[in-house]
Amino acid sequence: MQVNLMDFWPRIWEATYQTLLMVGISLAAATLIGLPLGIILVVTRQGGLLENKTLFRAFSSVVNFFRSIPFIILLVAILPFTRLIVGSSIGTAAAVVPLVIFSAPYIARLVESSLLEVKPGVIEAAEAMGATPWQIIRRVYIPEALSSIVLNLTIATIGLVGASAMAGFVGGGGLGDLAISYGYQRFETDIMIATVLLLVLIVQITQTIGNFTSKKIRRQ
Amino acid sequence: MIQFEQVSKVYQHNGSDLRAVDQVDLTVHKGEIFGVIGFSGAGKSTLIRLVNLLERPTEGRVLVNGEDLTQLSKPDLRQVRKRIGMIFQHFNLLESKTVHHNVAFPLSLSGTPKKEIDQRVAEILEFVGLSDKAKQYPEELSGGQKQRVGIARALATSPEILLCDEATSALDPETTKSILKLLRKVRDEYGITILMITHEMNVVREVCDRIAVMESGRVIEKGSIFDLFSNPQHPTTQNFVRTVMENDIPASILDGIEKRGSARNIYRVTFVDESAGEPVLSQVAKKFDVEVNVLFGQITELQGVPFGHLVVELQGPDQEILRVINHIQQRVSVQEVTSHAG
Ligand SMILES: Nc1ncnc2c1ncn2[C@@H]1O[C@H](COP(=O)(O)OP(=O)(O)OP(=O)(O)O)[C@@H](O)[C@H]1O
Ligand SMILES: [Mg+2]
Repeated sequence: MQVNLMDFWPRIWEATYQTLLMVGISLAAATLIGLPLGIILVVTRQGGLLENKTLFRAFSSVVNFFRSIPFIILLVAILPFTRLIVGSSIGTAAAVVPLVIFSAPYIARLVESSLLEVKPGVIEAAEAMGATPWQIIRRVYIPEALSSIVLNLTIATIGLVGASAMAGFVGGGGLGDLAISYGYQRFETDIMIATVLLLVLIVQITQTIGNFTSKKIRRQ
Repeated sequence: MIQFEQVSKVYQHNGSDLRAVDQVDLTVHKGEIFGVIGFSGAGKSTLIRLVNLLERPTEGRVLVNGEDLTQLSKPDLRQVRKRIGMIFQHFNLLESKTVHHNVAFPLSLSGTPKKEIDQRVAEILEFVGLSDKAKQYPEELSGGQKQRVGIARALATSPEILLCDEATSALDPETTKSILKLLRKVRDEYGITILMITHEMNVVREVCDRIAVMESGRVIEKGSIFDLFSNPQHPTTQNFVRTVMENDIPASILDGIEKRGSARNIYRVTFVDESAGEPVLSQVAKKFDVEVNVLFGQITELQGVPFGHLVVELQGPDQEILRVINHIQQRVSVQEVTSHAG
């Protein structure tokens, strides 16, 4: 059965919406977890603001652990946990849970590397002025690294778009799922091309927005 | 104001101890500009960072206003740090903030009301001569301007002490001069005690009242700027003095003297203030039966006052020469020059 691309647009729009929803929610949740995690990794490290070897090692190991599991395995492995959180192990919401667990540690590392770009001398100057560790985090580390953090979050977002293509395995829907189930498995070449083009477009727009915002932030 | 009492800072380095600061005793008085000079790795940065406890002493005590900061709780230490400004070689400004917000930063840390901050920032930017740059970002400023922002930021909280870690080392000679002039103004107008470290002799020459020379963590010599320039004891100090003032008699002149075979009666006359040098010698020529032959001389400036030495040859009867020496020693310092030392 040949599906007409024109008749198929509503499905494509729905899939686009699902992709954006999955990526958007996952990104928000993963940043909420990854940002503080990244900060902890920076301040607890040796020579850090709140140096704490044990804490640093613990967090770093956890991050490494999750970072080393391929997404497709993570997706299946945590199904029981997903069910516990969202009440179901299939659907768009169910796809968000592994996406968050997948990208939060990644974001933590990206944030960590952004924060480490802040010159130690600047941190030291703030310490010499009598700033509290919290003031240094909030008013030196974050604003000074924000432009770089935004660029790194853009990278994480694009990674999420890619990972969300695998969400089809848990019935998450989305463009990637559409491309695989119609385009690839049923040889609907034009649908595959259309969805892939849309994915390309989303990545392009994301990167453009990211670049623009990052530049803008450097000079509020 | 700042007292170092037998202070040492020891780092563990590949299992062995590295004494970055070694049993230092120093006192910096209120309102003075004190310089610490030393070559790279001498321990200068470590020493200055012990004052505001960016580094903790391993042994000994550092007292600021008679208070041992290591005894303070963290919040109390932060309060004290607000009264100790610091500027850095690489400025360490917040790149994401304007000049205004950089200077406002230390004030906003203590929750100063915005109106008060704006007023203080405007005042202090005026003082450092950057009123027109308030809205610009550090990136858009020259090195000298960045250091002015650094100074303004350090002064914002009206500190009693200003610590300068190689504050001019990244600047060209002209800019260095203008920054040093500003630091002097900081001391003169606000009475702030300044402790500065540097590896450049011309910097301490320009502004310091007293200096200490550091080598391998130890203070090897200290004293007033005049003492150290006119009579440096330690070879390292002599090397530093030589970087801004040629002490050696040029070889060509020495050769000439040796040829004439009269290396005996050569003296180095060191004087402060131009009025002391040449007039003394011209008087000598009139009053005594000796001939004064100036072989070599150099004049430099210490804190805006001429400082120099003349190497002279005295020709005449030995008896008369002794009388001359006794006479001029009351006004200037005189040392006999032996042919090898120069
Ligand atoms: N955190 C540290 N850990 C280990 N060794 C250190 C540390 N900080 C400084 N040192 C060592 O202490 C010695 C003195 O260093 P310091 O930075 O005080 O020298 P300095 O006189 O400021 O030199 P420079 O002119 O190059 O800045 C050096 O040998 C340095 O390697
Ligand atoms: Mg140094």
